[in-house]
Amino acid sequence: MIKKEILLQLKNISVHYGGVKALDGVNLELDEGEIVALMGPNGAGKSTILKVIFGLVPLHSGKILWHQKEITPITYEVVQMGIAFVPQGRRVFSNLTIAENLEIGGFIVDNKKELKRRIEEVLDIFPVLKRKLKLKAGSLSGGEQQMLALARALMIDPKILLLDEPSLGLAPKVVKEVFNKIKEINERHKTTILVVEHNIKSLLDIVHRGYILDKGKIVFQATSNELRQSDILEKVFMGKLA
Amino acid sequence: MNVIPQLILNSIIAGSIYSLIAISFSLIYNVTKFFNLAHGVLAIIGGYTVFYFAQILNWNIYIAITFGIVFAGFIGLILDKIIYLPLRRRKASNMILLVASLGIMTALQALLSILFTNEFRTLSRNINEQKIFQLLNGSLTQTQVIIIFVAILITIFIVLLLFKTQFGKAIRAISDDDEVAKIVGINTDKIISYVFFLGSAIAGIAGILMGFDIGIEPTMGLNLLLKGIVAVIIGGIGNVYGSVLGAFVLGFAENFSMWKIAGEWKDAVAFILLIIFLLFKPRGIMNK
Ligand SMILES: Nc1ncnc2c1ncn2[C@@H]1O[C@H](COP(=O)(O)OP(=O)(O)O)[C@@H](O)[C@H]1O
Ligand SMILES: [Mg+2]
Repeated sequence: MIKKEILLQLKNISVHYGGVKALDGVNLELDEGEIVALMGPNGAGKSTILKVIFGLVPLHSGKILWHQKEITPITYEVVQMGIAFVPQGRRVFSNLTIAENLEIGGFIVDNKKELKRRIEEVLDIFPVLKRKLKLKAGSLSGGEQQMLALARALMIDPKILLLDEPSLGLAPKVVKEVFNKIKEINERHKTTILVVEHNIKSLLDIVHRGYILDKGKIVFQATSNELRQSDILEKVFMGKLA
Repeated sequence: MNVIPQLILNSIIAGSIYSLIAISFSLIYNVTKFFNLAHGVLAIIGGYTVFYFAQILNWNIYIAITFGIVFAGFIGLILDKIIYLPLRRRKASNMILLVASLGIMTALQALLSILFTNEFRTLSRNINEQKIFQLLNGSLTQTQVIIIFVAILITIFIVLLLFKTQFGKAIRAISDDDEVAKIVGINTDKIISYVFFLGSAIAGIAGILMGFDIGIEPTMGLNLLLKGIVAVIIGGIGNVYGSVLGAFVLGFAENFSMWKIAGEWKDAVAFILLIIFLLFKPRGIMNK
């Protein structure tokens, strides 16, 4: 078997908020073309992992490697490297139109023609947005806003996509739709995707493998099949882990 | 003699000056979310820069004006770089930024007094030579005609900038959600510093125009700023059109109230208007 290239690697990273240890020696890696789940209870530090990759919170200790080279993440440079982030809570630019949200998503794309082409391309994946391009993003439904947030992130044609609780606050049917889109993006573009979720078993249907985070530490990592069969999720969420 | 035409013209002139201050103030407010109290004194700095180069050093007036505009913008940019940006990086609250800007305002105003004294200065060397235009039974000086045109041009420029360019869209994205703006790859610190330059330069233009119209003194900045803020609030914070509308509502309210009550009350009118809006329409005319 050919070993796939490691794109991004977190080595023994810790993050502190004031006196609070949010992350404590986390190791995590993302390989080319895979979908990886990151699950754990509220406050486990899932969002913090994504934020530290994106230079939104400072690293206390540890290393972040991009293509095996150590980096100090600065948000706009991370985007230029080809990593996109969809933060928690469907944060679209609500006073901008859908079209403007997509244009801003492609802010780092200099070429006007290329920008247009990418808008066409992402609208192909999210046809619901096509009819609403001139509407303010704030007027969309929750599910549509999540689709827009995803579409906006795709505008940079990312190598890695980081998604923070994309299912939050959505109806089960819409969640399924969003997960299908995530799978579609991965299959179409070979995009590596890290999906953070609280506790959704159905996520395991689309991911290749996953990490379980609890109290700032990775407590388990396995393939999606192993995760489905294990009772680790129940244990973590019932607080029964020693 | 019918005074109404002249009152209308005076209202439009006042509204034009206020709209320059209001638009530039909201531009900066929208991306930083704090009340930059140093904004008014930057207008006056623009005026004094022209005074210095044109009247003390006897430079060509157009070069002096260009210099004044750029210098006001440059001071705004520097203030952001050395004071506001470091404070933002330390996650200082908006209250702290406001207090810092109050300190800057006081210091800059004192500096102007030291350099130029508190004497009233006018930039037009010969007021009597100004052309007078008759319009709708009222009269306007050449400077006042220019004030109105500049206000219209700057408003159009800002609207086009905000809605038609990538830079403008980035400004609107930052004002919507600055963290997500960063996340999509916008170097928000850089864009904000450009906004400080642009906003301060527009304030400088307002100060220079005032210098040609009625003259300037160091303490005028605060009054000008407060009028700009009142215009922004009654128009609806965050909305460019609202700022312009608020500026003209204020200009008309001030001038038409002078018709019936004594001139000393002029400044009070702005605050009475502000209080009425805060009580009955706190989000302003343009915001729902
Ligand atoms: N800005 C912050 N300041 C202080 N503490 C924070 C901050 N953000 C998160 N935390 C704390 O860090 C821990 C991890 O938070 P987070 O990464 O948001 O968890 P999750 O996304 O898994 O719910 C929590 O205990 C949270 O309260
Ligand atoms: Mg979270």
